[in-house]
This record gives sequence, C-alpha cells and structure tokens, in this order.
Amino acid sequence: MTITSDLHEDAVLVVTGPPQWAGELELPEPAGPEATLLTMNRQGDTVAFSGKVEYGQSIRSGFTLAIADELDVPLASVQLILGDTDLVPYDRATLGSQSTMTVGIQLRRAAATARRALIALAAERWAVDATSLSTSEGHIFPAGEPSQRVSYADLLQGQNLRLLIPEEMTIKDAEDFVFMGKNLPRIDALARVTGQAKYSQDIVVDGMLHGKVLRPPSYGASPQQIDTAGSERVPGFVMVVRDGDFVGVLCEREDASEQALDAIRVRWRENLDLPSDSDFPGILKETAGEMVILREEGSLAEEFAKADHVLDGSYFIPYIANAPMEPSAAVASWEDGKLTVWSGDRSPFGVRDQLARDLDMREDQVRVIAPEIGGSFGTKGTVSVAYEAALLSKAAGRPVRVVHSRAEEFMWGTVRPATLIEIRSGFQADGKIVAWECTAYHTGDLAIRGQRGADTPYNTPTVRIAVADCKSPLKSGSYRSLGCAGNHFAREVHIDEIAASLHMDPVEFRLMNLTHPRLRRVLSQTADRFDWDSRRTESSSGIGVAIGYDAGSYVAECVELVVQRKVVRVQRVVAGIDCGMVVNPEGVRNQVEGSIIMGMGTALREEVEFDAGRLLNPVFSRYRVPRINDAPQIEVVLAGDPTTPSTGAGEPGIVPIAAAIDNAVYNTTEARIRDLPIVPRLP
Amino acid sequence: MQLLVNGETYEVDVDGETTLLAVLRHDLGLTGSKYGCGEGDCGACTVLLDGRATNSCITPVDSAAGQAITTIEGLANGNDLHPVQEAFIEHTAFQCAFCTPGFIMSLVALFGRNPRPDDRQIRGALTGNICRCGTYVRILQAAKAAAERLGRRGGE
Repeated sequence: MTITSDLHEDAVLVVTGPPQWAGELELPEPAGPEATLLTMNRQGDTVAFSGKVEYGQSIRSGFTLAIADELDVPLASVQLILGDTDLVPYDRATLGSQSTMTVGIQLRRAAATARRALIALAAERWAVDATSLSTSEGHIFPAGEPSQRVSYADLLQGQNLRLLIPEEMTIKDAEDFVFMGKNLPRIDALARVTGQAKYSQDIVVDGMLHGKVLRPPSYGASPQQIDTAGSERVPGFVMVVRDGDFVGVLCEREDASEQALDAIRVRWRENLDLPSDSDFPGILKETAGEMVILREEGSLAEEFAKADHVLDGSYFIPYIANAPMEPSAAVASWEDGKLTVWSGDRSPFGVRDQLARDLDMREDQVRVIAPEIGGSFGTKGTVSVAYEAALLSKAAGRPVRVVHSRAEEFMWGTVRPATLIEIRSGFQADGKIVAWECTAYHTGDLAIRGQRGADTPYNTPTVRIAVADCKSPLKSGSYRSLGCAGNHFAREVHIDEIAASLHMDPVEFRLMNLTHPRLRRVLSQTADRFDWDSRRTESSSGIGVAIGYDAGSYVAECVELVVQRKVVRVQRVVAGIDCGMVVNPEGVRNQVEGSIIMGMGTALREEVEFDAGRLLNPVFSRYRVPRINDAPQIEVVLAGDPTTPSTGAGEPGIVPIAAAIDNAVYNTTEARIRDLPIVPRLP
Repeated sequence: MQLLVNGETYEVDVDGETTLLAVLRHDLGLTGSKYGCGEGDCGACTVLLDGRATNSCITPVDSAAGQAITTIEGLANGNDLHPVQEAFIEHTAFQCAFCTPGFIMSLVALFGRNPRPDDRQIRGALTGNICRCGTYVRILQAAKAAAERLGRRGGE
C-alpha cells in the first residue's frame, strides 16, 4: 500500500479557508480553523481536500463535479483527497446529510476563488478588464473570442499564489453549470465494477499479520478461565495477545486466525438477568430519563375537552441493525513511533483522536486513512476495530489486519434505537386538528437522538412535543435519519388514522392541515405523479401516503402494494424530494431509491431479536433485509426549486416510507398495525 | 494444487479445506471478491466455477480445482469491459459497491445459460445477493440493458 506523498510540493496556487461554510444558515458545528482546501500545480491540475469520506453516497463525484464547474476545468484534471487525517482539514464526521450543504459549498467557493485569481492574471497580461474575460475547460479567453485563449497552466508559470477565500466570494448560478445538475456516470465507477476499489479488508501492508479478537457469547459475559494452548497448534500461528479480558490471536493467514480463535477454550460467566425483546415496549417507559419538552403551546386539556374527537395511538419501532455489507475492518502499522491505520470509519479524525487518547500518543503521531467504505448508514462511527488492530500490531511489532465477522458486526456494531411513541390528537368533525400531544421514548444515552423530526409540521393551535431517553439493553447508535424515521412513522400513521376515522382522503386531509409551502408542493407533485385520485378509487391494491422532513429537505411518498396472506408485496413507490438545488440528479435519485428500499426493511421484516444478553438472529438468513425480489418500481420526483440552497438527500427518503406502507396495508386489509415490523403482525 | 483462475494456472500450497475465497484473496491477491458473511447468505463473494455462480466463501478450494474459476478481475478483456460492467456504470447500479462484484458475477452466470432472461429470471438469479444500499431498481435496469446488448450481439 503506497501512501500519496506530499501533494502540496509542486502547488503554485493554494486556496485556504475554513473547511465549512453555510452562508446565512447556521452551521451544525464550528467551521473549523483555516486549512488548505484546494491547490493547482504548474500543469493546471487541481487537488482538493476534504475530511468527508465516501461510503457510497457519491460524495467524491458530487464534490468533483462542483469543483470542476466552479473552476471551469475538465473533470479528469480534478483529484479529490478524502478522509486522510494527515492530508485533509479536520472534519468531525460524515453524517446528517450535511456534506453538500456545508463542505461542498465551501469547496465551490475555494474553486471560485482560484478561478477569479486566474482571470485576474489574464486580465493583467492582456491589460484588459477582468469582467471582459470568460473561462472554459482550463482556459481563459476574451468573451466571444475563444481562439485567443490562454491556459491556466500557462498563466501559472512563475507564479506562487496563496489565496484566502474572501467572505463575499460568490459561486455560479445553476444555468452556468456544465457538470452539476446533469446525469453523469460516477467518477469512481470503473474501479467499482472491476473489483479494483479497495476497502479496508483489501488493504495489504508488507509483513502484515491477521488478528482475531475473542468475543463473549452474550452481552455482559466475562471470561472465568481462558486456555489458548489449542491456538498454538494451528499452522501459521504467531502469538496470543492478552491485556486483561482482551484476548487476540495473530496468525500469518486470515483463515488461520479464525481457526486459532475457535481453538481458544473459555469458561464464560454470563449475565442471564439482562432484558429480552419481549420486555419491549414496557421497559422503555419504565427506564425513561428526564422528559425534554421540545415545544409546548396553548392548553391541551382545554382543547381536548372542546374537540369533536380525541384519538390515542401508541407506536413501537424495534431495534434495527445497520448491517452494512462490508463488516468493520482495519489495518494498523507502526513505523518510527508513528501509527498509521486504514479503517473505513465515517469519522477518521474521531478515530485518530480516540486512538491517541487510548494509546497515550500525540494526535500527530496517529494517521487515519479511510479507504472505500462498504456502507455505513450510521454505524462505523466506533473506534473498536481500529483500536484492536493498533493494539495487536503494537504487541506483534508487525502490521496487523483485523476483519470482523458478520456475527461480530451484528453483535458488536450498534443498532438503531428502539422507540415507543404515544400520540393523542384532538380534531374537529371538519378535519381541523386542534390539539397534538406527542411523547416519544428513544433508547440511548441522549434524548437528542429522538428529537430529530419529533415536531409536527401540521397546523395546530395547541401542541406538546416531549422526548425522553431510556435505558438501552443493546448498544444504540446512529442510523439513517436517526430518530427522525421513527418519529415520522408514528406521526404519519396517526394522521392517517384521523383521516380514516373521518372518512377523508389522506392527501386532502394532509393538505388541509398544512401551510408549509414546500411540504404542500412536494406532496401535491408526488400525488399527481402517482395519479393518486384515480389509483385511490380504481386500484384493488392498497394505496398509502406519508410525508416528512429531514436534513433541511422535504419529502412525500405514495405507495401501492398487495397483501397476500403473510406477504406484503410493494409494487410501486413514487417519492418526491425537495432538497433545493440538485448538484447530481442521479446521485439524489439513487439515494432516495436506496432510502426507500432500506426503509421497506424496517417496515416489513427487520427486527433485532435478543434474549437475556444473547442476539438471536445475527445472520442474514434470519435477519431479513430487503432482497431484489422485494424491490418495487420506484419513481423519484425532484421537486426542489433550483434557486434554494442544496440540502440533504442521503437520508430524507427513508422518513415517510414505513408509514406510507403501513397506511397502504390498512387501506387494503383494514388492519391498523402500530408496531413494526408489519409482516409478523399481519392478521 | 493447481487452480485455473481467469485463464491462468496457479500453483497454491494450501489445505484443501481452505475456502476458495481465502485462496483468491490471500494467496492470489484477487481482492475483488468480498467477504460479506462467510455463510453463503449475501453473495458478495460470488465467482464462477465453469460458468456457474458460486459462493466462494463456503466452497472448499479442493472442490474448485479442475474447474475454470472466473472472478470479477477476469471479466474485462483489457480495457474492454463486459457488457454487464458497462451497464452497471451507465445505470449507476451501485452506491458503496461492496456487493457489486458479486451481483455482476451472478448476472454473468445467468446470461451464460440464458442470454435473454425475463424480469422474473433476473430476479431469481440475484436473490442470493444482498445490496444493503438498496440499489436493486438500478441493478434490474442494468441487467435488462445488458441482456439487450448481449441479445443483439448474439443475433449479429
């Protein structure tokens, strides 16, 4: 594995600035100190730097298109360095569908800064006004006279420009884009279809050993007696590393390390008093911490008393496994007191800082590089596999690779929090909502996880939204649209229940109670594309709708499905998304389609089963993620206005889907299922 | 033991019980086939044995000896991609792409025995492959496009 050496060495143009920018919007975190964001060399080739990582969301393509457009250079002349802590500006993590909004736009501003400086050089050379010059494909020319062009490379001879992004730096309007907004192949496509893309499990370092770590059979189990004699007889065995309860084996081959691990004899003491999934949902309320009130307006008691109707609903969402196709893996290598770790984590800097703390080193003594990442969806934000590789490598004095098994990924990765949501609504006979009380219980350490998307976008004069965290029997972690998807499931099913109780059309009912212009528009456009009015009356299938908001974007989804005995077959989904200006339409469509498929799994069959500290279904044959036979026809409607800023696209598509499916199941079976997953609960 | 991989003969010195996946990845350095589950549940390790799609993670290497083994690395002819690879690029039939080699190999096996599969047959050939990013809609589009291209070639 070679590491790209000093990329700044032959740079003759360097643009610096804070790594993030959000204009008049509020940044979700501090912008960060000024850092090198973009360089050009004498040949006019561009290198740009970002702490974000690529885990399938196509950020490498999105950033490259944006930079090439702002600079007016060919795509092939732009190289993007992502997620290498020695080379890129600090970034906390790739999450929350924030990358395009905050980092992508700053890279555009960096590129625009470079382009402006190049134009100024040409204006000086020709003694003309800069505004009379145009740029295209790495060249500058007087407007309307492209034959008199000069290349960026020519202009940069003998230069050494150091530029800071000016506060007022402007970027191009959508009509001036060459690459953005077009349907282009992903720039990393070739490596991905030829097997050349390198993930953590593919990284090889000279002299590398393969490590495996001893895991308890259940949560909370501790080893009483460990006998590693059997491991030593495995061909290719190198050593056992013990540090308290941490036991690792190292072998020359990966398959040998698996055998050596299996050969360890352990007597475990297990904790059989741990909760089981059958304790849900009661255990959530019993262990609830402090209630955080997100919004409270008006007197609920008065409105409930006056309302024509009051409806109560209780909704439950079980634990969901992220289950990315790539199990966690890391390679660690020590050289002259410096630790280099390759690990497909969504927070390379988080891993670096944690490793430095755990190993009592300075941060600059640790370099973390994220190779290609085979899916995250919120997991791979934990340090364990990198730490295991580092510890084993230090003990062995040789580089070490650790690849988690699928069972380890299921059992020791994190799960989406389980959630109980209680909603009481008051409404009038004409369909007007007058009171809304929502109390949500999300497992995990921070109620903040459950706050996302908990508030109702529907008009109501009185409202109370409260969220509590509660004890989590399993390790809760992040997930696509964390908290938000569960909150939307409860709200959008409840809204459907109100509409059904009044015999009102669910789309019409929603529009009647909504004034938010972007939500109204995305719902109307989606329903139109779906042909809602005629499908609702003519189709013998189940028809359902739900809407939502997340990451600054607005979504609506309409679903058509059939239920045959214990099978739900989703036939067609129309999804509308308003994520403002779209950089990469194929990228947005791909993300929304993927969000729908993933959300179908949470709606229909996925559920982490556990009993007294043991995971009961840590295999794909028993943890049923969507397969190709489950895939419906999906149409994505891009409903955003190109003049509004770009907002998140990787997550919002998952927000309405479970409710839309649930509502469609009700539409065809008249069974109202309030606990997920749906399939085991079909009548 | 001798193995015929992507048209080349390799001599490997491993226990016959070693999985084909381990030999491909470790001994031959062909890392395009992925470890996803180790139990034949996910299809990320799919390779061809005499043209049949096979989960290499549960195949002992000695049972593959004597058969023609094809991995994702052996599909393209120089810079000429296989029509399935081309179709995957054109339809962006991937996100993280960890599962992509397995899906492509399963489709190549299908087209080998049935050059004009219908939608149901395509889905049937891919039920053993999981894409957690959920790009199934695109994979189906790419498969249909590749089928059309291969059908045209066959008719020439």
